[in-house]
Amino acid sequence: MDSIHEDYYAILGVPPTATTEEIKHAYRALARRYHPDTRTEQAPTALFHQVQMAYAVLSDPARRQAYDKRRAEAGLTPHAPFTWRIYLSRYHLSTQYAEQTLYLMMEIRPTGVETHRRLPLNLCLVIDQSTSMQGSRIEHVKRAARWILTELEDDDFLSIVTFNDRANVLLPSAPVGSQRNRVQAKISSVLTAGGTEILQGLQTGLKELKKHHSDRVVSHLILLTDGQTYGDEEDCLAEARAAGAQRIGISAMGIGEDWNDTLLDEMASQSGGTSAYITSPQHIRTMLRKRIIGLSALYATDLYLAFRSTEKVQVEHVFSTTPYLKHLHFEGDGVKLGVVEENQPVIAVAEIGVGQHSAGEHRLLQLELRGSVPKVNVDGVLLRDEVVCHFTEEKPPEEPVPAAMLSVLSKVTIFRMQEQVWEKLDRGNVRDATRQLEYIATRLFDLGETELARSAMLEAGRVAQSGTSTSKGRKELKYGTRSLTIASRRESHD
Amino acid sequence: MIECPSCGRKHRPGTLFCSECGVYLLTGGPLRTEPLPEEELPISRANPWANESIGEDAEDAAIPLRIEVLSTKRQIQIPNTPEVHIGRTDAVHGIFPDLDLSPDGGLEGGVSRHHCKIHQRGTTYLVEDVGSANGTFLNGQRLTPYLPHMLKNGDELQLGRITLRIIIEEPTES
Repeated sequence: MDSIHEDYYAILGVPPTATTEEIKHAYRALARRYHPDTRTEQAPTALFHQVQMAYAVLSDPARRQAYDKRRAEAGLTPHAPFTWRIYLSRYHLSTQYAEQTLYLMMEIRPTGVETHRRLPLNLCLVIDQSTSMQGSRIEHVKRAARWILTELEDDDFLSIVTFNDRANVLLPSAPVGSQRNRVQAKISSVLTAGGTEILQGLQTGLKELKKHHSDRVVSHLILLTDGQTYGDEEDCLAEARAAGAQRIGISAMGIGEDWNDTLLDEMASQSGGTSAYITSPQHIRTMLRKRIIGLSALYATDLYLAFRSTEKVQVEHVFSTTPYLKHLHFEGDGVKLGVVEENQPVIAVAEIGVGQHSAGEHRLLQLELRGSVPKVNVDGVLLRDEVVCHFTEEKPPEEPVPAAMLSVLSKVTIFRMQEQVWEKLDRGNVRDATRQLEYIATRLFDLGETELARSAMLEAGRVAQSGTSTSKGRKELKYGTRSLTIASRRESHD
Repeated sequence: MIECPSCGRKHRPGTLFCSECGVYLLTGGPLRTEPLPEEELPISRANPWANESIGEDAEDAAIPLRIEVLSTKRQIQIPNTPEVHIGRTDAVHGIFPDLDLSPDGGLEGGVSRHHCKIHQRGTTYLVEDVGSANGTFLNGQRLTPYLPHMLKNGDELQLGRITLRIIIEEPTES
């Protein structure tokens, strides 16, 4: 049977519109390169087999048509904005267990972008100017804000709001091209005073964004704060939810150690933004830059992954790895994956509880990916697939677990352990929390994450002695472990 | 149900990683360090802050250190290097500790491939557990991983089930 998950066109390097002649030509060229007898490159034989398989299907008009049709039905047409690969920890399960665990991993890739033109950005910087920001913090924020200007195009919109107990529109929303010079002077005039009321800044910032908000721009609010807000958390979340529903994202960057990570994380996830932990003032610029580059490369929004299963199958936990590890919560029949950047695959893993099944093939799950891809004007169902497993009475054959899945799961496990530590501490279970922190340290050392492992070790010591976690340790571990899946983060270590 | 070999937590069949301690549950094979039953190992912990002040001054004084494996009476003269790694050789993974306890029954005794290291600071030797599966014990007290502890002549160092005696011969002052 021809696999619809293999993109035979891509394997042969021809467009989906290629003629039989073009396909033959491409095949011959590849065959010369990959054929075991004549190959000029050290290519594995598996690659040659793939090429042969692709040619066998595409050179036969009937098979090619059937292949095209089945790919189209699965949402994998050549013009589909996304493709995915689905892995299971095993495909053969035993009939003898009342309950067993199955892992599912989905690698969701944006397909090649046809237009390199990006949608204009509609940005609002909301800057905390409370007294605690005094000194290097506010200076670095100002420097970063000035620098943002150089990163933006003339037709992007920018507004800046500052807040303490009240909010003030420093720069009303307008195209960047019209106000480059004014922005410099305005930013320099910011002084620190007063307390921190995030809601004030948030509401004022959103008002500015809405002036130029439409389907043809990417609207985003970037909140920079070092403090806690008092009493208005619920209202902040409500604002974030409402903004998210209108496709206005909020990214929150917490500076230092005292800010309310739960609130900022929640606001970001409600609105489809991101949150970041800024450990030093110099770090502000790097984080802002990352965020703006990410927004410029925005490919899809409102990505939603739905699971439909029978009663015997329970999707228990879902994690996504992009832009960092997130434990996703069910909303309706699925989870929100949020926004996706160009050329950045999204990996989601699910832990599934599977009840007892009789021998034979069973369809355990139906998967559906929905979302909106503004650049190609697609909104709705993007991909569909199903998970089928084979149940046997005798011992199922040994199946190697895909290495990519193990790598992601080992990190998800550490992230999850860290979540459990804080849950244990909240219940007053100091002994178990300490022990689990030490386990985390051990796993991190195994991964070569020495710095983070030391943080875990130190936090274990502090928890054992005082019975509570420290704000610093908690943030270091939370933001550190959730970044474990980001490859570029890895520095070389010996 | 399957049981985590490291912490004993029970899991459904098919589970790949222990949710409690993070251990990969399907690892097998003879090279793996098997965790020892908890009751076999002492439970009290050494206090790292109880270390006496460390002599940092004498950079020249290389006091010779010897280690004796109690079960096999093997004595090893530790090379005069800043760090000595103790563990078990695993050629497949390119792990070659300075002191290999394989000949002393390290595998059965629960010694990890990377178990602990001894480093020299001035005239003092310090021991540090490097995240071993079964822990390093100094005179019966479990060391917190990655926290160095001072070693004295006659100290007993236990790696899993293998006990080592530390022999530090103070040079006789002239």
